[in-house]
Amino acid sequence: MAAREPAKRIIQQVRPILSVDREEARQRVINLYKAWHRTAPFIVEKFDIPKSVPQVRQKLKEEFIKNKDVSDVRVIDMLVIKGQMELKEITKIWKQKGHIMRYWQESIEYKPNDFLSKFMSGHN
Amino acid sequence: MLRAPMFRALVLAQLPSRAGILFTTSRMQSNAPAKAPEKIEVFIDDQPVMVAPGTTVLQAAAQVGVEIPRFCYHERLAVAGNCRMCLVEVEKSPKPVAACAMPVMKGWRIKTNSDMTRKAREGVMEFLLSNHPLDCPICDQGGECDLQDQAMAFGSDRSRFTDINHAGKRAVEDKDIGPLVKTIMTRCIHCTRCIRFASEVAGVDDLGTTGRGNEMQVGMYVEKLFLTELSGNVIDLCPVGALTNKPYSFVARPWEIRKVDSIDVLDALGSNIVVSTRTGEVLRILPRENEDINEEWLSDKSRFACDGLKRQRLITPMLRKPDGEFEAVEWESALITAAQAIRNAPKDKIAAVAGSLVDAEQLVAVKDLLNRLGSELLCTEQKFPTADGTSGTDLRSNYLLNSSIASCEDADLVLLVGTNPRYEAPLLNTRLRKGYVHKEQDIAYIGPEVDLSYRYEYLGNRSLTIEDIAKGKHPFAQRLKQAKRPLIIVGANALARNDGKAYIAALQSFARQLKPEDKNWKVWNVLQTNASQVAALDVGYKPGVEEVLAAQPKVLFLLGADGNAVNKENIPKDCFVIYQGHHGDQGAQLAHAILPGAAYTEKQGTYVNTEGRAQQTLVAVSPPGMAREDWKIIRALSEVVGTVLPYDTLDELRNRMEDIAPHLVRYGHLEENNFYAQAEQLIKTQASSFQGDVDVNQKSLEDFFMTDSITRASPTMAKCVAAVKKAQATG
Amino acid sequence: MSSILRSISCGLRNGLVKNSGVFSFARRFKSEEIPEEETRPTVRKFDNVQRSNLTDFGKYVAECLPKYVQKVQLTAGDELEVLIAPDGVVPVLQFLKDHHQAQFENLVDIAGMDVPSRPYRFEIIYNLLSLRYNSRIRVKTYTDELTPIDSCNDVYKAANWYEREIWDMYGVFFANHPDLRRILTDYGFEGHPQRRDFPLSGYVELRYDDEKKRVVCEPLELAQEFRKFDLEAPWEQFPNFRHANPATEEIETGNKEEK
Repeated sequence: MAAREPAKRIIQQVRPILSVDREEARQRVINLYKAWHRTAPFIVEKFDIPKSVPQVRQKLKEEFIKNKDVSDVRVIDMLVIKGQMELKEITKIWKQKGHIMRYWQESIEYKPNDFLSKFMSGHN
Repeated sequence: MLRAPMFRALVLAQLPSRAGILFTTSRMQSNAPAKAPEKIEVFIDDQPVMVAPGTTVLQAAAQVGVEIPRFCYHERLAVAGNCRMCLVEVEKSPKPVAACAMPVMKGWRIKTNSDMTRKAREGVMEFLLSNHPLDCPICDQGGECDLQDQAMAFGSDRSRFTDINHAGKRAVEDKDIGPLVKTIMTRCIHCTRCIRFASEVAGVDDLGTTGRGNEMQVGMYVEKLFLTELSGNVIDLCPVGALTNKPYSFVARPWEIRKVDSIDVLDALGSNIVVSTRTGEVLRILPRENEDINEEWLSDKSRFACDGLKRQRLITPMLRKPDGEFEAVEWESALITAAQAIRNAPKDKIAAVAGSLVDAEQLVAVKDLLNRLGSELLCTEQKFPTADGTSGTDLRSNYLLNSSIASCEDADLVLLVGTNPRYEAPLLNTRLRKGYVHKEQDIAYIGPEVDLSYRYEYLGNRSLTIEDIAKGKHPFAQRLKQAKRPLIIVGANALARNDGKAYIAALQSFARQLKPEDKNWKVWNVLQTNASQVAALDVGYKPGVEEVLAAQPKVLFLLGADGNAVNKENIPKDCFVIYQGHHGDQGAQLAHAILPGAAYTEKQGTYVNTEGRAQQTLVAVSPPGMAREDWKIIRALSEVVGTVLPYDTLDELRNRMEDIAPHLVRYGHLEENNFYAQAEQLIKTQASSFQGDVDVNQKSLEDFFMTDSITRASPTMAKCVAAVKKAQATG
Repeated sequence: MSSILRSISCGLRNGLVKNSGVFSFARRFKSEEIPEEETRPTVRKFDNVQRSNLTDFGKYVAECLPKYVQKVQLTAGDELEVLIAPDGVVPVLQFLKDHHQAQFENLVDIAGMDVPSRPYRFEIIYNLLSLRYNSRIRVKTYTDELTPIDSCNDVYKAANWYEREIWDMYGVFFANHPDLRRILTDYGFEGHPQRRDFPLSGYVELRYDDEKKRVVCEPLELAQEFRKFDLEAPWEQFPNFRHANPATEEIETGNKEEK
């Protein structure tokens, strides 16, 4: 009985969101990345943001790299879906300049980490 | 205000001897505990329950979790039975019976939710409400009012009260009974809880009733103030809004405040409190129940001094300019200046003096810092006699109230020396009074004549008397020797005198000679007055500032030391004084650098009370302005000095505390003491003589209110002192 | 969709439902036991006939769709709820919409509910109204963060925005939805605000930056204490006054062994 437990867990069927295996999920991620990559000049042009196309592509890469350790196919699918929705929001120009600039988080002051600067600034 | 009656009743029902619910039973049990009386069976709503004979219907119901509404009944007061709210039906009884006053009989079937019971309650409620004003919207008790709650639960849902003649409801003139308790006597429902509290617990027979029937009034008969150190407790006891908190009046509603459990530090008992806050401000302090310490009472100082937490506060670091004025600076420059002074000083010339409100975290952090820098000069402000400079405080039993606070009421003969417990520790005094009233305790007292709220045998204020007793020459010594559970309580202030050694040597060896009935009974007790003292001595601070001042320190830390032990005259001229504390009081005047710390409601700090019980305060509000938690200041300073202390979080610091003294982090636990014989040996080695008469610092009520930096900053406490002075001048 | 309907009617014809021929939703007076009349003045009184009708219809639905219906219950005394498996959303709704005895033509609302302690933390609740029979029914199913639910957009056109709302607020993915995207939150908003683990104050705050001449987004810093009221009812200490009607009453359906 105990031996069968892990086996059961492996073959446990979950309803796939889009992809049935990792390879398919990977392909979807790559497709999404390509789509975003192609949109970069469009973003710079249409939103008139103070960034260059390489900077946008750099940011795009960072955002994808953030999720590099995700391994669950369904989580990857969910992220792909959200990425597609976001891309659509950009290409349809539903988003505005401020929304695009949010990716760079330029106005955020990061809180100190070491004891002394936390003490000085009053953050605990 | 009395929110958890069921739980309390359950606990008390199981521990009748501790609580003194019924004076007759508790006395009977304390004198003859051997013979357990046979239990009888009764039925509460058809649930069978076995109870001891003499149990009232209300207590029996509480044992099975059935709550009977009540106004006049209170577990810690005598039964009055005059509100009639607790009427219940007993089968085969023609009339409903008052559950709080009626002892159960065998086989009774009590119905707490029958039609007759409910109708009786509804009737009582209707009578009460027909003479109660409809001013709940402007009443301070609104939201925590027993009458409101019980009217909702047990009252009728419609009114028959029609005032067609516009005669008005009964109205009673308000009374001025002092600056702490506001009275709106029209709201009074004559439960007489306040009267019973005043005469039984506080020991002032001031309150009473006049008139009868509709004309009945609770009051003083003559115009005078309710002068007692426990007056605030009648606010909690009052089930309606007749007695309310004067400084808190019209301030907040109970549902919008946050409650944080904490510990009181204004005396050394460590009473458990609930701090009520709203938007970063302490609004009021209420007692929290703890059977081992404060029962459910709280002294007026602890309850009302909380407005001192908002005034006279140090909110920015300050440095003294060359012209002698203080200048507010940023933390960075304050720490750098202080660190420079520390680095420039020779390593054995750095000293620290701990005041009365310091928590154990700060004590440990400062000690670690100074030890790492190479200095051993750490002391507390209050003195304690030591034999050869160190050894007197090595063993805890020397400086603790060894026979816990709760068991003080079980003693049969108490000798108080150089202490006025009524003002130094009001809740210890209620314990002694409880023993005196309910358990035939005898109390004798050496010191200037004071009013202790109970009768005591006055042995004069001559120190010669102590010597006589210690040598067995005094007749009282014989009585102590014959007593079954004798107790000697010595005030910390008496021991802080220059001849304190003589007190401790004489009395402790005499205490060792006594042979109490119970081998574990502890005779020798010290009543501390400072909340920080026990923890400081536990972690190895030396008592008294002499040694530190004799070393001519170049840098002196004053950790909230406002007691005037260190002053302009006795510190070296070239000494750089760093004051760390929360109030700009006496100590801050001496400082070259001021580091603003947190008060007890603003930090999570450990305090050890006079019986050696570690307890912690919790953060109720954040420290004002740029003030920081105290141990963090020391930790930050250590980094600037270059000797980094190895803890960044409170947990790491507490681990360090556990290494030094494990009992410091065993919260709520009372550590057993031993080594009494060795402790006596340590102290005996040095003979010394008495100088002058026995004295106490706080003789009358006006001395009670202002004793430390928080209470000195409190306007309410100032009003109390003024009121007491005025009352004494006129009456 | 029509295939599903066909399969159901097939089932009906094959005698899967024993008394289908004689059953009528409009039929009255079929309850086995009439509960005692409520006399307490402060307790809500129910129409027992209506209750028994709802009970019967609940049983009928369970018998018709034994594969999907897991439980049928009455909530708050007179509200019929059908608890179904996540796979059965489309067939059950199609059945309720098109069955002649039901005709729940109107999708009033779709609601979400998050109970993080459950294995399937989200509940999706469909509120249906039958104008023909003046009756309402509630269909509930469950899912988690990653399991998609079939969109019922093909059954009810009204579901389009409701499902977008659920997706936006809870992050439940609806498969085969024609236009699934955010509906309430701002573009670029991260997270699903109705999840119980999403803080009431949110994670970020927006402000207009005068230098940058645009709205910027920053981590939240509350300038004022978060006000929390202590609304504990003080008379809760008296247990005699807590007895009220049960929140839900389960209806015996006969297909227990299917679970």
